[in-house]
Amino acid sequence: MYRLLIKQFIRSRITLGALALLLVMGLVSILMGKQFLAQQQERIVQVTEHQREHIVRNVAAHDEMGLLLYYLKFSLISPPDKLSALSIGQRDVNPGIQSITIRTLEGQKYDTDLTNPVQLQSGNLDLGFVILYLFPLVIIAFTFNILSEDRESGTWKTIVVQSRSAFQFLLAKFLVRAFFLYGLLLFLLLAAAVILSLPLGESYLAFVVLSVLYSTCWFALTFWLALFKKSSGFTVLTLLAIWVTLTILLPASVNNLVATLHPVPESLSTLVKQRDGYHEKWDQDKKVTLDKFYARYPQFAKYGVPDETFHWLWYYAMQQMGDEDARADSRAMREKMLQREETSRSLARAIPTLHTQLYFNDLAQTSLADYIRLLDSTTTFHERTRLYFYPKIFEHAAVKNEDWAAVKPQYLPPRDTVCWSPLVLPLVVIILVLLGWAWVRSRNIYSI
Amino acid sequence: MNRSIVVLLARQSWKNAFHSRAIYGVLVVLFLMIGYAAYSGWKMYTVQNEMREHYQRVARERWEDNPDKHPHRMAHFGTFAFRIKHPLSLFDFGLESFTGNAVYLEAHKQNTINFSEASMSTGLLRFGEISLAMLLQMVVPLIIVFLGFGAVAVDRENGTLKILLTQGARGREILTGRSLGLFAVAMVVVVPAFFCAALLLIASGVSVDLDLVGRLAGIALAYFLFNAIVCVITVAVSAGSQSSKAALMKLLGVWLLLAVLLPRTSQALGSYFFPAPSRVAFETVIEEDVLKQGDSHNPDDPHYKHLRDSVLRVHAVDSVEHLPFNYSGFVMREGERISARIYQQHLQALTRLYDKQNSLTTAAALVNPFTAIRNLSMALSGTDVESYKVFQSEAEAYRYTMAQEMNALQMELISNRKPGPQDKPLAISHDHWKELPDFKPQGIAIGASLRGAWFSAMALLLWSVGSCWWVGRLSKTLKAI
Repeated sequence: MYRLLIKQFIRSRITLGALALLLVMGLVSILMGKQFLAQQQERIVQVTEHQREHIVRNVAAHDEMGLLLYYLKFSLISPPDKLSALSIGQRDVNPGIQSITIRTLEGQKYDTDLTNPVQLQSGNLDLGFVILYLFPLVIIAFTFNILSEDRESGTWKTIVVQSRSAFQFLLAKFLVRAFFLYGLLLFLLLAAAVILSLPLGESYLAFVVLSVLYSTCWFALTFWLALFKKSSGFTVLTLLAIWVTLTILLPASVNNLVATLHPVPESLSTLVKQRDGYHEKWDQDKKVTLDKFYARYPQFAKYGVPDETFHWLWYYAMQQMGDEDARADSRAMREKMLQREETSRSLARAIPTLHTQLYFNDLAQTSLADYIRLLDSTTTFHERTRLYFYPKIFEHAAVKNEDWAAVKPQYLPPRDTVCWSPLVLPLVVIILVLLGWAWVRSRNIYSI
Repeated sequence: MNRSIVVLLARQSWKNAFHSRAIYGVLVVLFLMIGYAAYSGWKMYTVQNEMREHYQRVARERWEDNPDKHPHRMAHFGTFAFRIKHPLSLFDFGLESFTGNAVYLEAHKQNTINFSEASMSTGLLRFGEISLAMLLQMVVPLIIVFLGFGAVAVDRENGTLKILLTQGARGREILTGRSLGLFAVAMVVVVPAFFCAALLLIASGVSVDLDLVGRLAGIALAYFLFNAIVCVITVAVSAGSQSSKAALMKLLGVWLLLAVLLPRTSQALGSYFFPAPSRVAFETVIEEDVLKQGDSHNPDDPHYKHLRDSVLRVHAVDSVEHLPFNYSGFVMREGERISARIYQQHLQALTRLYDKQNSLTTAAALVNPFTAIRNLSMALSGTDVESYKVFQSEAEAYRYTMAQEMNALQMELISNRKPGPQDKPLAISHDHWKELPDFKPQGIAIGASLRGAWFSAMALLLWSVGSCWWVGRLSKTLKAI
């Protein structure tokens, strides 16, 4: 029976066309991901090289530690996980590299990379897109008339009468289609692993499992709907309406909701406050600034209050005040971003498309949370660098005594990405509900 | 063509559409979405602009509140430019969420425009946003397809078409009548959407000027044309298909291809073939070019040495301290001029590269009316890339003016004699701060918007003509069975 069903299935032009389309789009998306990864790697090479040259040039030009550190930029790199090629996420909007001086951080840390807004808006063609948007469409195209075509051509009566179990026949038809689609899905994921030389670790496995579960959601949906025995026209319209709702309307509405629910005016106030916090200090008594600075860093209190009109100690203390004065707003802004992530995630649990997209990004470490993690690390990196150089600046250490060649970009360590139960549970629940319901309805197919 | 037959058929299509109860469900959902899209568009527009205008005022107050100080201190104090949303952004979000909103303007340095909505968004933003324009561009065509796939094909299936033709209705009359009927149904959605947008525009207290009226008229015209094209094509496909089911499949396929697949693919390919530089690479090249011209901090730099010698010669003095103006202000003016010019050159090159990345999508308007309407609608709503470029250049122009004004003040009012380490720093009166005019961005004018979108406008016109021609040809060979 299976051989005949397969023959019947692959003889259709639509089948071959759809499979070919998926294959081509899938491979194209993997190549795009490869280019993305290569670009990210190139940036890391560029920034490493640039930092080296930049330090050599500035060290040669300035013999005063305070002045030199005014110019020097230090890089913190969040290396892209290879999976990011499959789900670029927010990684193209937000930079993965921070290059900062030891001056006020809040004025530097949100600097964006150069981006083409048209490109950002249209979105990336990564494998995640192919799996999220195109696979469901092909699943719909393959299965919408799985029962209705037999009913509409009159063969269903024969099947009900002649086959041992009409339900098993229907299931077999389904499995044939599922076999080809899962086969293609796994082939693409495997091709991605080979082309991008992905490490076959837990996060890759989770990516595969998530893709399979997501596709299964759609199979379960079409199977469930087929058992309602509506006409193929009605079924295809319903399924397409569901697809449009799940991939376009609902996510877009949720996005609007998140954006209007949590506007971030703190971003603008942080921008203004970090500047004012620093610049106002020029017009104040040095002691005011230095008292605040020493309260924050008592280990430097021994340097006292210099008599000169200008002293680097005072200068960097003023710079630090920019961060101090903007801290409350900066924290509030971070809170808002986390709230956005939180709201999105909780709403996504009920919507498979959103859930899958967010977890693809999570596995690939390209989510908003990952950007916040980079921002947080930048703050600690900034403080570490400052505290290392402060005493050298304050004591007018000689520039040439420092081992500048050892000052290399720092890397953000990768994080654990896989947390199985929140990853799979929402999808499993949806699948079980749909299949359970379908099982209940399956008795009806024998009536004509 | 007999007008009464056309009107009769159109009216019959209209009646048919409202015959099934499903349409009411669809309409209710659609109106709810229109309401939601309009509300959130309006909310984003008012909340964001209030925020940005507030901080723009704060930035100005802080600037003017500065006490007496050295003008170069002021140049580093700097100010901010916040991007104000175009009123029509409540209709079409366009690129709004993906363009930066705030930039710090200071001497010597072109900062990045930060805090785009996208940079603070979760991965959901990539699914798109729901705006009135998005509903009109994506969802309304789908509804037209749902309502119109059977326009002629059903008549053929149940034999009505044969009767119509034998009773003297001509192919052209049938197709025109059906298209008009479908178009009328589509207007049931489109007109309220426009009405919503207009109402919210009035509610948000926008001053109505010729520019805005022109944009509104343009948008209305563009969407009427676009809907007409979709209706005509739907009827044509219905007429050319064997069965209504085949027509439906074809139309859905075309919708998916044109509305979802093609735009993303063409843009992704554009970026693939024209990779853009990173910020590090971009800034490194600019830094190198500026250093090639001369390093104003290096006392032995040939460019600035030459400059100093020629200035000294012209004023017939032997040292810069005897010049009638502040020499370091003069050097900074020169440095700012050079670095701003070099930055502009590189920025223009980058913009051209981005245009190249987008060129595939722009060109796709010729084969894809969805892209044509998208680009045209964005341009007319002042939310396209051209409008962003205007903000970019206005902010940079203001930064340059501010820096050079401060340099001029320094040249004029600051002494050439450097104060000793214990002296009070040199300063000028704070009255000068008010002399710098406030940042008043003009935004993009309708002419510039249209220049940026002429290709899409033309493509839409070509599609209108083309689809009419296609239907005309089809009507001659319309098969009754």
